[in-house]
Amino acid sequence: MSIGGSDLDKAIGQLRACRPIPENQVRELCYKARELLIEEGNVVGVDAPVTICGDIHGQFHDLMELFRVGGDVPDTNYLFMGDFVDRGFYSLESFLLLLCLKVRYPDRITLIRGNHESRQITTVYGFYDECLRKYGSANVWRYCCEVFDYLALGALVTGATTSLSPTDGPLADNTNIDSLPDSDADIEIETLNANGEIMYRYARNSDSQSSAASQANSNPASSSPVAPTPTRTGPAGTGASGSANGSKGNDTGAILCVHGGLSPLIDTIDKIRLLDRKQEVPHEGAMCDLLWSDPDEIDGWGLSPRGAGFLFGADIVKCFNHRNDLSLIARAHQLVMEGFKEMFDSTIVTVWSAPNYCYRCGNVAAILELGEDGSNAGFVRRSNGDQGGGNGGWVLGSNVGNGNNGGQGGNGNRRLSSVLGDSMRPREGPGRRYRVFEAAPQDSRGMPAKKPVADYFL
Amino acid sequence: MSSLNGAPADSHAPGHDVDTSITRNGFKVSTQKLPILKAGPIEEMTKKLGIAPPEMIFGDNFARIEHLPTGWKIDFNAFDALDRVDKTGDSMLKVSYSKEWQQNRQKQFEDIKEVVKPFDWSYSTDYKGTVPQEPSFEPTETPIPLTLLRRPDPILFFDDVVLYEDELADNGIAMLSCKIRVMPARLLMLTRFFMRLDDVMFRIRDTRVFVEFETGEVIREYTAREEKYEDLRKKLRGTGGDVLAKMRDPNQIAEHIPIVDHTLEKVVLKQTS
Repeated sequence: MSIGGSDLDKAIGQLRACRPIPENQVRELCYKARELLIEEGNVVGVDAPVTICGDIHGQFHDLMELFRVGGDVPDTNYLFMGDFVDRGFYSLESFLLLLCLKVRYPDRITLIRGNHESRQITTVYGFYDECLRKYGSANVWRYCCEVFDYLALGALVTGATTSLSPTDGPLADNTNIDSLPDSDADIEIETLNANGEIMYRYARNSDSQSSAASQANSNPASSSPVAPTPTRTGPAGTGASGSANGSKGNDTGAILCVHGGLSPLIDTIDKIRLLDRKQEVPHEGAMCDLLWSDPDEIDGWGLSPRGAGFLFGADIVKCFNHRNDLSLIARAHQLVMEGFKEMFDSTIVTVWSAPNYCYRCGNVAAILELGEDGSNAGFVRRSNGDQGGGNGGWVLGSNVGNGNNGGQGGNGNRRLSSVLGDSMRPREGPGRRYRVFEAAPQDSRGMPAKKPVADYFL
Repeated sequence: MSSLNGAPADSHAPGHDVDTSITRNGFKVSTQKLPILKAGPIEEMTKKLGIAPPEMIFGDNFARIEHLPTGWKIDFNAFDALDRVDKTGDSMLKVSYSKEWQQNRQKQFEDIKEVVKPFDWSYSTDYKGTVPQEPSFEPTETPIPLTLLRRPDPILFFDDVVLYEDELADNGIAMLSCKIRVMPARLLMLTRFFMRLDDVMFRIRDTRVFVEFETGEVIREYTAREEKYEDLRKKLRGTGGDVLAKMRDPNQIAEHIPIVDHTLEKVVLKQTS
């Protein structure tokens, strides 16, 4: 029986109801998925807009909540940064649903590999046992592991806008309206709750060079937050704005997504492209590091006290981003109570998408939305004086400031000036909209609330 | 950046009562269960402790037994437990594939030598609870009366509180948790540190606190067990069943792991006059 077309939609429907599909369909699905994934490079190119998600860990009902909050496939483009399986009770349904969606809408959903997508780890942390329990044999686990070997190691998002078009959502209960920037400010970060209410909003350095007047940009490595010249505002993902190597003038650098982090063996993204990924995750080497390493508040590279694995500091991230023309690294891998955590002057962010992790941590989850460049066209034109009417006070003000400043040294990218010399000016980060959500209600899981059961322990 | 992160301030793990208590014969037992700490409090704790707390740090949780007439109490919380973790790195363990990893690494990156903030990242603690100076526990020969605890007396209060948990970067588990059951005439509290470092070793460190309400007698027993991973696996193979599943459940393996440390102490609290 083949799993194409309507069969695939049927399988998606069944998995959405959290019911496993028959073994022969899994085999077929995994075969199709492998055919598809083998065509992907180690680093998948992805165009904004896209919604970036962190660890899922078999929390199927929370994955459904994620789709409710972030929009359904294929209406929303998704990039999942691995760790689909283990820990939670529904690794199988979660992974197979994502895989079905990948086969059904290959251009709408990107899956990259986490350290849990491995034979060795899944035998210890739940996925293997779950397959055995649900199918009575290890076949399905074996099919899935073969797919794991084909998953990409990273993704490169291009064409993201630097400033968000503000949502019109109402304010969340605890949000102070006075703390929000003006409605026409250049929004860099926005945090929304699961109901789309605004919890937080942050304008880009309002006194900095953030304006279209930096057309006369004297420093090619520096990005301007809005498209500097009309000729450069080509379609997202084109060579002009999307190359990872030094194309100047695009809105923001690319965003690299990996599960864990960087590796001392990898100084350029091209080196990731050269790896032979179609294997079990090795215990050492570049592929291992990409899936396992963590950022830490240190200088340079460090060794994990555990005796294996690297830690990397702010300078490593900033150099890597500069060298590869990145504005941000998005990664997952580490639990963060607030669902996301930006570090090192917003050059790297951890995104965590498993709320109430392991059904007991009580943490919230987050997803990161990157908007597409073109959606911001209104801002660009307005700053040229064509649009916006009398509404452009802020833009005008900064234009003047920039004009006076000519060479634009001191009030440019203040974020890193103390760390990096003028020759290493970082790219302006993409506009980032975080949607924060809590675990799906307990009763939707079809299992009783977790109350400790009294026992006569000794 | 913590102000960026908008976790609802009052969120708590679904299905959990925030705090509960019961009082019997002047002994008040209370527990509190809240979500893991947020970025701000974690930073604060890191500073105070001098080490990075475990990934899942239930810093607001506690389990406590108070004797209201005298004000004596024994308290179990994550901070005090972590304060007893080795912060020097002298007793640091290595993951199973560390040697292989190091050898391969050294060829290429001899310049990366610095081990970042060495400490006992297995979070092994010999924590026996936080108690006041006076009245203090004294060594005793009186064991905890297991026969009385085996009787099916009604359980008036029961709770299970996790203080911290860490996945050791997917190399096993370290977990400190408290279980407590209160019967009409007595109570038992078991605080267990369980650590499995895959392919390396197991540790179980139990602190049992027993209270006989009528006499005001409090017995504290500490039992530390330790075994190499491979040795335990061999033993378990002889017992049948799913060995991997057993190795995830300290209840099923404790009896197979040799005791390396044991203390027994007692304090008698004056009754209300």
